[in-house]
Amino acid sequence: MEFEKRILDNGLAVISEVNGFAQSAAVGFFVKTGSRDETKQISGVSHFLEHMLFKGTEKLGPLEVNKAFDRLGAQFNAGTGEENTVYHAAVLPEYLADVTHLWTELMRPALRDGDFNMEKNVIKEEIAMYEDTPSFDVIDKCRSLYFESHPCGNSVLGTRESIDALTPKQMHDYFTSRYSPNNMTVAFAGNFNWDKMAELIAQLCGDWRRQNVFRETADYAGTIKAERIQKKNLVREHICLISPAVSMQDERRFAASLLATIVGDNVGSRYFWALVDKALAETATMQRESMDGTGAFYSYIRCSSENLQKVLETVKDIFENLDGKGVTEAELTTARNKILSALVLKNEIPMGRLVSLGFNWIYLGEYRSTEQDIADVKAVTVDDVNSLIRQFKPGRFTKFILGPDSTKTNQT
Amino acid sequence: MASKLDKHVLKNGMVILGEPMEAVQSVAFGFMLPAGASRLPDGCCGAANIIEDWIFRGAADMNNRALGDALDSLGLNRFSSVGSGHLSIGAALEAENLAAALELYAKITRQPRLDDELFELAKQLALDHLAGLDDDPRHKVMLKLKEQFYPQPLGRSTVGEAAQLKSLTAEKTRQLVKQHFNLSRTIFAVAGRYDFDALCSQMERLFDTGPQEESKEIELSEKGSKYTHIHNDGAQVHIALMTPTVKPSDEQYYNARMAVSVLSGGMSARLFTEVREKRGLCYAIGASYHGLKEAAGILCYAGTVPQTAQQTLDVIIQQFDRLKDGISEQEIARAKIGLESALIMSSESSASRAARIASDYYVLGRVRSLDEIKERIEQTGAESVQRFLQQNPFEDYTVVTVGPEKVALK
Repeated sequence: MEFEKRILDNGLAVISEVNGFAQSAAVGFFVKTGSRDETKQISGVSHFLEHMLFKGTEKLGPLEVNKAFDRLGAQFNAGTGEENTVYHAAVLPEYLADVTHLWTELMRPALRDGDFNMEKNVIKEEIAMYEDTPSFDVIDKCRSLYFESHPCGNSVLGTRESIDALTPKQMHDYFTSRYSPNNMTVAFAGNFNWDKMAELIAQLCGDWRRQNVFRETADYAGTIKAERIQKKNLVREHICLISPAVSMQDERRFAASLLATIVGDNVGSRYFWALVDKALAETATMQRESMDGTGAFYSYIRCSSENLQKVLETVKDIFENLDGKGVTEAELTTARNKILSALVLKNEIPMGRLVSLGFNWIYLGEYRSTEQDIADVKAVTVDDVNSLIRQFKPGRFTKFILGPDSTKTNQT
Repeated sequence: MASKLDKHVLKNGMVILGEPMEAVQSVAFGFMLPAGASRLPDGCCGAANIIEDWIFRGAADMNNRALGDALDSLGLNRFSSVGSGHLSIGAALEAENLAAALELYAKITRQPRLDDELFELAKQLALDHLAGLDDDPRHKVMLKLKEQFYPQPLGRSTVGEAAQLKSLTAEKTRQLVKQHFNLSRTIFAVAGRYDFDALCSQMERLFDTGPQEESKEIELSEKGSKYTHIHNDGAQVHIALMTPTVKPSDEQYYNARMAVSVLSGGMSARLFTEVREKRGLCYAIGASYHGLKEAAGILCYAGTVPQTAQQTLDVIIQQFDRLKDGISEQEIARAKIGLESALIMSSESSASRAARIASDYYVLGRVRSLDEIKERIEQTGAESVQRFLQQNPFEDYTVVTVGPEKVALK
């Protein structure tokens, strides 16, 4: 695997990792912008803008854009989160230049009023879809409770009201300030010719104008609030717990991942043995989500109303035990093996590799090989994990529960 | 796009299939046990889900915890699923741990402990997952659709029925394991980095079980209702519909796949264009081919707010109907490249390769090479797809909705 990079004069970073054995190639445009970069007045604009990029340019209408992707057999999509908007495509190697060319055009969109108004309906349908997905909804609500006024608590989707109120001009202004070349990274992974791709990007994106881009990245320790909302159509208790963790820039992120795996992997973890194996909850998982300058552990647990109190008490016991006794060497070894094999599997696919490549560059400004990640996971000790527990106290969490209204168990 | 197939039949009859992949460090393996939802006797709907959990709660000399810890220590990326025909279990992992993992899976499939006291936990979890479906209307609508569309017991719920789950006892379920974990009729597939000779001799040793007789064929009965509505006070009406088409073994299979791709292969396909791009009716809209060995259909899902549910269904059916009236060469070209690219890209994952060869072998009795699939896709054209649609028109829809309002079938 060879890493290559080129930074254009306007600040656009172009990075790549070639794998001559791969059957495909992947390209991604990583824009460092998301809901945390929004104000209340434009809530949901990052995600809405991501949809609008597919509506084309002055020369290319929406239906032509879709046909252009499909003609290349591209497996493509885009996603917007709290702090990144990522556009990606995987194709057979012979189509990489064409699909890259297409993305570069879309990155300078027309943002037509007609498309804007039509797409509002689609966005509102997406909001409705997630309302019907309580496992998602509860995490969104808990994040907002945890982060309170910190911008990381902003909703990615926005609300029906914020979407209705949004104007094309507000979106245009947001686009100009955020989709600036010095706030973007183009990454390639898989089987391709680097020189050709670097030259292509230089030619097509060299005249994009640089803007001053800023993001507030204050760390945040979170509230330790608790709330429960009742919805009459629900039958299960959906529980989300959020507590502080390390940021993407923190070297202890591997130790934090190991801790999350020990506590909340879907099998064989402390949650698993205490909650799922005992049939108290049907699902119980914990993950580390590191962000720019801050980070959090997220747990999601689903159970019956009848078991809710017992589940919450068990979770309390798990964290008390963790706080008092720490993790064991055996637990660490198992978690390490799980993370290492997941790393190997993910990085065998160009699309999986693309994601690591892009995010390492955005957050760390550096290239990390799969081997470096493996070595860092292997180097984590029990002491490293235990000192994280002492510092971050994962048992001090913000808790949000979405559940049915028929239950008598309404304490939180 | 060359692919090589390794094949060996164990003395007990178990078929071992392998597809080696260069340049990967991983391997994926899976056992397809003939104990899927439709294979179990009537009155046991959901038993496979209890079994899927129960067999992992201790095997041979290892108790629940010891087995769980042993599986975990190998860093397995485990999977298990209940389908219509099979209960499938397996994992993706680093290649060096394959032999150790197979030792454990042999214990699980041959000597699961099936302790009485752990049965109730496995059963409770199966009931909980079933209850959780009510909070997952999108999943629920698809399960209900297959249940109504396929002749029983093919579409039997792969999650279970509450009353039947509740009535199951440890003894009854243990008998089901004994009868249906037929290792002579099990298909084992592996893909990625492995040594086939070493693998086969290990598998011969592990599954030295002697042949078992084939269980009797299932009898198919009537299909369900044309329209089913399940009330849910959610934000959207979740619409699912299905129309019969040719089976995977049919000569016309590739024409059917092309037809679905023209409808829903990409963002320029007809459903996305007409339902989402031109009318803004949905966020999620898509159709796909769904094939069992015995029957197949094209299924479609859309989620939309109640005010636009009827219009969404009408536009979808209109698009299905219109397909037979003409397809352009450009649409065919896009469908071909889409199918071929997806095929090659999915072949980069050891887990998806292992799943594909096992399913091919079960459904077709042989494994297609990637080149053969590509060639068959290439042989289709606007004319062949249209002729197929005229001979096999989309009609006789089964529709299910979950949400605050019903729709009307026209």
